[in-house]
Amino acid sequence: MRRAEIVVSLLFMLLGVIVIVDSVRLGFMWGRTGPASGFFPFYLGAGVVIASLIVLLKAVQQYRKQGEGKPLMPPGALKPILWVVIPSTAMVAITELVGLHISAALFLGFYMRVVGKIGWTTTLLISIIAPLSLYITFDKLFLIPLPAGLWGGYLLRF
Amino acid sequence: MEDLNNLMIGFGVVFQPYNLMIIVVGLILGIIVGVLPGLGGANGVAILIPIVVTMPATAGVILLSMIYWGALYGGSITSILFNIPGEPWAVAATFDGYPMAKGGKPGKALVLAFLAHGAGAIFGVVVLTFFAPILAEFALKFGPAEVFAVMMLTFSAFVGLGGKSPLKTVVAILFGFILAAVGMDIVSGQLRMTYGTIVLMGGFNFIVAVIGLFGLGEIFLTVEEGLKVEGIKARIGLKDILDGMKDVIRYPKALIMGTLIGCWMGFKPGGATPASFMAYGFTKQASANAAEFGTGAPAGIIAPEAAAHAAGTSATIPMITLGIPGSPTMAVIMGGLMIFGLQPGPMLFKEHADFVWGFIASCWMGNVLGFFVVLAFAPIFASILRVKFAIFMPLIIYVCAIGAYAVNNRMIDVYYMILFGVLGYLFKKLDYPIAPMVLALVLGDMAEQAMRQALIIGHGSPLVFFTLPLALPIMAAAIIIFFWPVIAPLKSKLFGKKA
Repeated sequence: MRRAEIVVSLLFMLLGVIVIVDSVRLGFMWGRTGPASGFFPFYLGAGVVIASLIVLLKAVQQYRKQGEGKPLMPPGALKPILWVVIPSTAMVAITELVGLHISAALFLGFYMRVVGKIGWTTTLLISIIAPLSLYITFDKLFLIPLPAGLWGGYLLRF
Repeated sequence: MEDLNNLMIGFGVVFQPYNLMIIVVGLILGIIVGVLPGLGGANGVAILIPIVVTMPATAGVILLSMIYWGALYGGSITSILFNIPGEPWAVAATFDGYPMAKGGKPGKALVLAFLAHGAGAIFGVVVLTFFAPILAEFALKFGPAEVFAVMMLTFSAFVGLGGKSPLKTVVAILFGFILAAVGMDIVSGQLRMTYGTIVLMGGFNFIVAVIGLFGLGEIFLTVEEGLKVEGIKARIGLKDILDGMKDVIRYPKALIMGTLIGCWMGFKPGGATPASFMAYGFTKQASANAAEFGTGAPAGIIAPEAAAHAAGTSATIPMITLGIPGSPTMAVIMGGLMIFGLQPGPMLFKEHADFVWGFIASCWMGNVLGFFVVLAFAPIFASILRVKFAIFMPLIIYVCAIGAYAVNNRMIDVYYMILFGVLGYLFKKLDYPIAPMVLALVLGDMAEQAMRQALIIGHGSPLVFFTLPLALPIMAAAIIIFFWPVIAPLKSKLFGKKA
């Protein structure tokens, strides 16, 4: 956990530096019409760098004294989390092709059947009825168009 | 008395059939949101925003707030019956609620929780009704320097009194402000921190962030713990209701303490979650039989539940009078107001009095009605959790994706949602607070604008924040609270007392 702590505070510092660089480009002093565009972000960036530097130093100190400490995740927790993260990212990626509702149907079916070990009937019923009813609610009743993707418009034509 | 007249006019709005229907639908949706882990108040409201936009303004905002009240009530059902908090603010309800339910009195535990919720809520709404107009009148005198000072006070409260690591809170707040600054500079129109990409030009929408941080982040945490549902079946009989009422009267201290702590925590941004923990801790300390706590003590249910709901309702006060939301859920509701072109702040009371009083009346109505709805149908709502997690979890992610996309009709937001989900998980694990980060993201543009205007007024001297008569005390309070983690140990050293 402490190692993750160190990495995250380093990332925050990096972010702060990136922000400062752009603020300097925009001008972080007094411009023609008052504070320039980079004024506020400059101090934000500087603040993040300083605060996370202290977090980093503390974490390093503790790491030296007490070692890694508790793991970031309890053992065996990474797998179920990845089983959520990867399929849902895939759902978003497939959305670009076939639209949100169809890719969600695939996602629902996949997760329920493969990960959740739910019976075929329930899986099929839910992964067809849920996207269909949400499609009708959003796209038809409230007229909120959801992403159709490249081919979704051809696949869902009603 | 003027307030009472206004309130009556507000009730006139609420009693329109359409609005009444909205209230009931909102409450039921809210309770469902409250029961389901992974679908919380903040992202429940966020997902609905695209739908709400199609409604009239008053009805839309009422619907959003009903989700919050419903979720506040609903969160405790699963805490008590399943030992699974449906909402973070209901965690404290598991300490004594679950043992009591296990001990054979699930009905009584539920009734106690709902009664405490109702009492806390009503107290918060009373304060809202009578204090908010005064505060709004006062806030009319605020210029940019004062507005910025109030925001400083808000964020100082998170750092100094938030209970998390002050440094990490600072990092989280600044990170939120940085995300808010990405995109077009609101004053000069220049592009900032886009690094030549078109994707970053649109900036980060806080509703997307909320859906990711609270929705997906929460789901990852639940998955990690491996959700096992072992519930207690409950029925609420007349005897349970009478028993519960007797106990609420028998422990007035717990109720009053919880309500007051909740009110304070909701007003001073903090929100329902820390309020419930604080109330539990204080009541336990003050109780004569502290050993009973954790084994099903009635006071241990009453205090945190009253605090959570009082914090929820009183978080409305700073939101509607100052434009500063007291909790993440309130921030999303405020986002809803702004979509309707209703800029929260002191002018709202002048320009849209009908809306303000309709909204306040709906808070009365919703919290009272919510009590009866939840009391009558608690067992039915509890049965939702008997549906397998592997079924409703992907459904929640699907609905979250719809919400994230529909905010701006941008596909990139759905990717951001997943990123924010992972970020939320990491934040939780490493103890970086999420709530102040969300508030910083919401208030970023306003804070920056106020600061820059104030500096222009002061000809570039930051002394402008310390010389104006209204700004000075607020700023001074902000600085003291900010350094409170450093001051408190010093004070106890000087006076030789334990802080």
